[in-house]
Amino acid sequence: MGTFDVGGSQLDTSWFLLLGAVLFAMGTAGVLVRRNPLIILICIELMLNAVNLTLIAFSRQLENLEGQLFALMTMTVAAAEAVVGLAILVDIFRVRDVEDVDDLSELKG
Amino acid sequence: MAVAVFFVAALLAIAGGIGVISFRQPIRSVLSLVVVMLALSVLFLLLSAQFIFVVQIIVYAGAVMVLFLFVITLLGPARESGRGRLRFQAGLSALFVIALLGLIYAMFQGVHYRQPEQADLAVFGTVQSIAVGLFTSYLYPFELTSVLLLIAAIGAVYLSRKDES
Repeated sequence: MGTFDVGGSQLDTSWFLLLGAVLFAMGTAGVLVRRNPLIILICIELMLNAVNLTLIAFSRQLENLEGQLFALMTMTVAAAEAVVGLAILVDIFRVRDVEDVDDLSELKG
Repeated sequence: MAVAVFFVAALLAIAGGIGVISFRQPIRSVLSLVVVMLALSVLFLLLSAQFIFVVQIIVYAGAVMVLFLFVITLLGPARESGRGRLRFQAGLSALFVIALLGLIYAMFQGVHYRQPEQADLAVFGTVQSIAVGLFTSYLYPFELTSVLLLIAAIGAVYLSRKDES
């Protein structure tokens, strides 16, 4: 249970799931610790990639293609998120000098 | 053989992930993320997802990362200021991340896999099988993603236009 065959050798699905979890946790750490808004966006991309790995690992284990289709949708959403997020960032940087996400705290009131 | 490929790609991905969150200059973070994406694409190939493998390299490592690089060239090499205003932020974040990882790991311990659906592995994950899925049972969500991309493109153009007034 939980293994599948690749070219004659057995791979364990839980290895892929664990790697996905570690990458997702790394992305979370980056979002929490880093202060440059650009790097926070990069870390979100890292988290989305980790989720894709998990989806595709389950897709292979269950031999069900829907996981891969869902991963494609995730990629589309990630691309849209990167485009809009970077456009917002460029707009903010053009108006004023921001070197830290803490400089963007006007909504705090 | 496949096991060795898995471990090399996994180590590369983790090393790249550490690079993403620890390099000071954004350009190095972006290049580390490219390493992560290429390593993950190798893993996708191991998971017999050939089409996703190609899409990952072309769309992600190619297009999205080039977008990030363009923005970095546009904004200049901004370095991070050393300390933030919140004390204990790093410590609390580390605690939270370890708790999150522990929770996910505990969740994996309880996973019971269903019986595989005995799909035809000769065509599993090829362009043909992906296309059959996308254009039959998932046609509606597929069309919605095109609308999503159009909205994103219009939004980006709107946000980055010059003020005429």
